[in-house]
Amino acid sequence: MPIVSVLAALLAGAVLILISGSNPIRGYAALLRGAFGSPYNITETLVIAVPLTLAGISVAVAFRTGLFNIGAQGQLLVGALAAGWTGAQFPELPGILLLPLTLVSAVLAGGAWGAIAGWLKAARGVNEVITTIMQNYTVVFVMHWLLQNGPMTAPNAAGTPASSPIGAGAILPIIIPNEIVPLSRLHAGVVLAIAAVVVFWFLMWRTSLGYELRAVGLGARAAAQAGIDPRRRMVLVMFIAGGFAGLAGMIQVSGLFHRVFDGFSAGFGFDAIAVALLGKNSPVGITLAAVLFAAFARGGTIMQADAGVSSHLVEVVEATVLLVIAAEAIVRALAVRRGTPAEALA
Amino acid sequence: MKRLLALAFISVLMATNTACGNLGGLGGPSVKIGLVTDVGGLNDKGFNSLANQGRLDAAKDFGVETSVTESKKQEDYVPNLTNYAQQNYDLVVGVGFLMTNSIWKVAKQFPNIKFALIDGAPANDKGDTENLPNVANLFFKEQEPGYVVGVIAAMMAKDKVGKATHNTVCSMGGIPIPSVDRWIAGYQDAVKTISPTTTILHGYSNDFVDQAKGKEVGLNHISKGCDILFQVAGGSGLGYIAAAKEKGVYAIGVDADQSDVAPGTVITSALKRVNKAVYDTVKAVKDKAYKAGDNFFSATNDGIGIGKVDAVVPANIKTAADQALTDIKSGKIKPKTEIQVKG
Repeated sequence: MPIVSVLAALLAGAVLILISGSNPIRGYAALLRGAFGSPYNITETLVIAVPLTLAGISVAVAFRTGLFNIGAQGQLLVGALAAGWTGAQFPELPGILLLPLTLVSAVLAGGAWGAIAGWLKAARGVNEVITTIMQNYTVVFVMHWLLQNGPMTAPNAAGTPASSPIGAGAILPIIIPNEIVPLSRLHAGVVLAIAAVVVFWFLMWRTSLGYELRAVGLGARAAAQAGIDPRRRMVLVMFIAGGFAGLAGMIQVSGLFHRVFDGFSAGFGFDAIAVALLGKNSPVGITLAAVLFAAFARGGTIMQADAGVSSHLVEVVEATVLLVIAAEAIVRALAVRRGTPAEALA
Repeated sequence: MKRLLALAFISVLMATNTACGNLGGLGGPSVKIGLVTDVGGLNDKGFNSLANQGRLDAAKDFGVETSVTESKKQEDYVPNLTNYAQQNYDLVVGVGFLMTNSIWKVAKQFPNIKFALIDGAPANDKGDTENLPNVANLFFKEQEPGYVVGVIAAMMAKDKVGKATHNTVCSMGGIPIPSVDRWIAGYQDAVKTISPTTTILHGYSNDFVDQAKGKEVGLNHISKGCDILFQVAGGSGLGYIAAAKEKGVYAIGVDADQSDVAPGTVITSALKRVNKAVYDTVKAVKDKAYKAGDNFFSATNDGIGIGKVDAVVPANIKTAADQALTDIKSGKIKPKTEIQVKG
């Protein structure tokens, strides 16, 4: 079904490209080439897929527990700030200490930030959609303060609102040498992302905590009857969700930019919601969906550069994918009401 | 289903090959120019759209082949610049100071490709400026158009023209960085020189996007008597103009001609002709006169100016502004680059 929605969306996009006066075949050819057409392009697509995968897991782990985490973006930024601060604060530490320290600080910071929304939901019944959205704004403004002539601004930033660079020990190395793929930016974050996918799978489907979280997701009251306190699980799962998103932020700092700046990694946390939905909140699904959205993002810019098709049309294609998925969910809901078993539609 | 997928895949692959072939055929000796916008995108009514205008003008006048890529995220700068460099474009233009490190990274990898950066110089991984032999830094003397619109503001305030009755002029920057402050410095210099009794207020929205914040600063300024408001704050500045419109006072636009943002409110705009900078750099590449390092655009080479002047501005004030521009061009007036009134 997700494949059908992607194909339907691509078709709708083709019509739009045609209406906009360009050749859809040439456009999509450029898109495909931009995403996968050369070793360099493949590495660039993967560079985008890494944070999308992690933020996608962040959304999915909450979703599996019945919570809608719209705050992956804010949690990612908090993780990035923590990583940027830690990495720059102890620049002389060797990598064997500094890299884990940077990683742990980002995961804990992102997790703590996420747990706030979980706690508000558990203790006060505040809708987590609202709190996580508000928290996203809070982080953005705190970042303005920290990075625009604030406590984290680099002394030589020369007008660019950015933090000081992190120490060499906090940098994730490039894993494909430039002799093999010139200019490759593909860093060890891709290994961390794969590890995170495995951790997500193991946590949710191989531990009793994962079982409890999913039980809460399927029915909080039923879970409570079975002796699983949903409120504690809500706080915990939002901590875990924030931790995954925080790791995404750390990877962008340690793998790509080696510093934090204002306007950092805009939008990954929101694309991640689409990634989790398209990937049906499953480990493999999220990974594939992240690669697909990364291919759209990377290919879309090349489509504009090489075929003259506005890269915003790719966003229309992405949105249409979601629309088709949402439509599927609506059809299912209607079918259930009419008494048709949902499985018959699968 | 599987067969359909395979078919679709094969047809796309075939199309890829054809498209590549087509591109190769188009090549030839033509000069190729690639423009990479920053995250503001092509419709920012500011330097990205102006840079794109310069690209289109150059394409028309010089018959060069051009292309544009909009960056969605800061992550995109390096790959977007690289894409053009890999295809051996003759000039790759990056827009905005956010790209200083990205252009340094890419230009170092492609020493044979010429680059240009609007509003910035390449910066290495430590954040320090490091000029490269294949990067032209396109800077503007923002204090000059700031001074010229300052002349208009000062004389309007002094002569109490129209709604300007409180002898108070104001300005708002996005954030306190040199490229923003230079506009304000010129503006204040003109007011201090021409009308020393005029009260000057200045503030920051601490944002380049959020209109609400700009409006808040604007309403605050107006409540303190400001009736001429000059903004240097991108999208946030549009909120500053909106405050002026709401309270029926005057505003001055920045970067591009913003008279259409609020006709009757915006009395003029301080222009930074990014389009001219791109156009001239393309021309230089074509004429083999490209110069790496700092290139300044100022009154001397018509790189700056003022926009449409509203009918409310009396002829003598307009003449004085034109005279100031001439004097800056001849070097008789040298606008200050440091802000004098900070609050």
